[in-house]
Amino acid sequence: MIFFKRQLPLLITGIMGVAFALQYYIPHPVSEEAITHISKWMQIISGFALVLGLASLFQVHAVKIKRQVPGWGYSVILYLAMLVTMAVGLFWSKGETTMNGAQTGFGWIYSYTMVPLQATMFSILAFFIASAAYRAFRARTREAAVLLVAAVIVMMGRVPLGQFLLPWTWDVTQWLLNVVNSAVRRAILIGVSMGAVALSLKIILGYERSYLGGGKDQ
Amino acid sequence: MKEFARWMVSIDRRIIFLLIALATLLPLLHPFGLPIKVSPEVRGVYDYIESLPEGSVFLLSLDFDPSSKPELEPQAIALLRHAFRKQLRVIGMTHWLPGTGLADSIFSKVATEMKRESGKDYVFLGWSPGTGSLVISMGQDLYKAFPSDYAKKPTLGMPVLEGVRNLRDVTYLISLAAGNPGIEMWYVFGKDKYRFEMGGGSTGVMAPGLYPFLRSGQINGLIGGLQGAAEYETLIGQKGTAVAGMDAQSADHFVIIALVLLCNVFYFVLRGDKGRLA
Repeated sequence: MIFFKRQLPLLITGIMGVAFALQYYIPHPVSEEAITHISKWMQIISGFALVLGLASLFQVHAVKIKRQVPGWGYSVILYLAMLVTMAVGLFWSKGETTMNGAQTGFGWIYSYTMVPLQATMFSILAFFIASAAYRAFRARTREAAVLLVAAVIVMMGRVPLGQFLLPWTWDVTQWLLNVVNSAVRRAILIGVSMGAVALSLKIILGYERSYLGGGKDQ
Repeated sequence: MKEFARWMVSIDRRIIFLLIALATLLPLLHPFGLPIKVSPEVRGVYDYIESLPEGSVFLLSLDFDPSSKPELEPQAIALLRHAFRKQLRVIGMTHWLPGTGLADSIFSKVATEMKRESGKDYVFLGWSPGTGSLVISMGQDLYKAFPSDYAKKPTLGMPVLEGVRNLRDVTYLISLAAGNPGIEMWYVFGKDKYRFEMGGGSTGVMAPGLYPFLRSGQINGLIGGLQGAAEYETLIGQKGTAVAGMDAQSADHFVIIALVLLCNVFYFVLRGDKGRLA
């Protein structure tokens, strides 16, 4: 059994990792046909992730309701919302948001509950950011003071009122974004990318095995 | 003075919420309409679309969900208006499942306004799983990746897709992204291999992180947040919700700046009373 649980997945990972790293550099029709098929397989496998996610969500909240943990009422609401949406979508709307130019029940739930709810959740952030900035954005150290000054300049330079009152903030903002910010972001990106390459090599060569999961056979 | 500073530092946060609400609402009710300055990043996208010949294939990937609608919907509308005005053949899609309905409504709304026909002038492909592997699949064969569009019409034989086999036949691609999958993913799996020109649009929070891609030429332009959308609306000469929202954003920024500066003044007044600070 250890062969199916450990050696076979490692072998498949190693072979596929090397094959598809090389495939990028081989524009032969066979190689192109292979990537076409594999990408389709990968799409199908990604589709299953949705089903898994849904099953996991149902399970987590079922446990919360069963044990009546604090806030279990929200889990009931989540269950109801999911079941009602699925029922309306599958049985009354046949999975369509519009039918013959008219909005279906499923489309109505999407347009008039999900869209405004998500937009509201995100817009509430503006209030919390303002409150947090007031309490936490203090020039306690020199570094914090530099960050504070840069933030104030960028906030002014990125809006018409700031550009109108202090026109120089526009040029300084452009310089901060294009030079200072780009240099720092580039350094972070290079670091992250090198880490990703190292991790990929460790997975392909079989040194990194945590993706196989735990268990006594590991 | 110290008593007042102490009271101000621990001010009820509902007062701050009220200030932000007023700063948002009042400019929306009484706009002051300040001019919008156009940045080179946004002009990069506009100039490239402007230079495209009629009938070029333009792929617009709306990679966001309703939470980013206020910032990215105006960008999408402005880009679509520009593309339709330039008589480009537009392909729409999304990598974000919860954003599919929103993306479809944006395409339908602008197409109706500009009198464009689905299947002939544009096609909305919808969503398909896979993100990176979907891009590779589209790069190999568009019709295997999307055998039908969002309205379940077969893509093969559609007049809008005439001569388009895969991503190599796309002239220009823009991803309007609220996160990942988005611009980076399109670059890594798409542009790098299938060699189309690419631009980007993002939420204001994400935009600074995309500047390295812009500076290296990996994307030829970037529309950042509501300000970027307002700049694009100004460029196409058709003002919309972004320009209208910029007055509110200006006022909000100024309220936050004022709050931060005030907080620091009170912080310095109370600096000696360490143990008594909130």
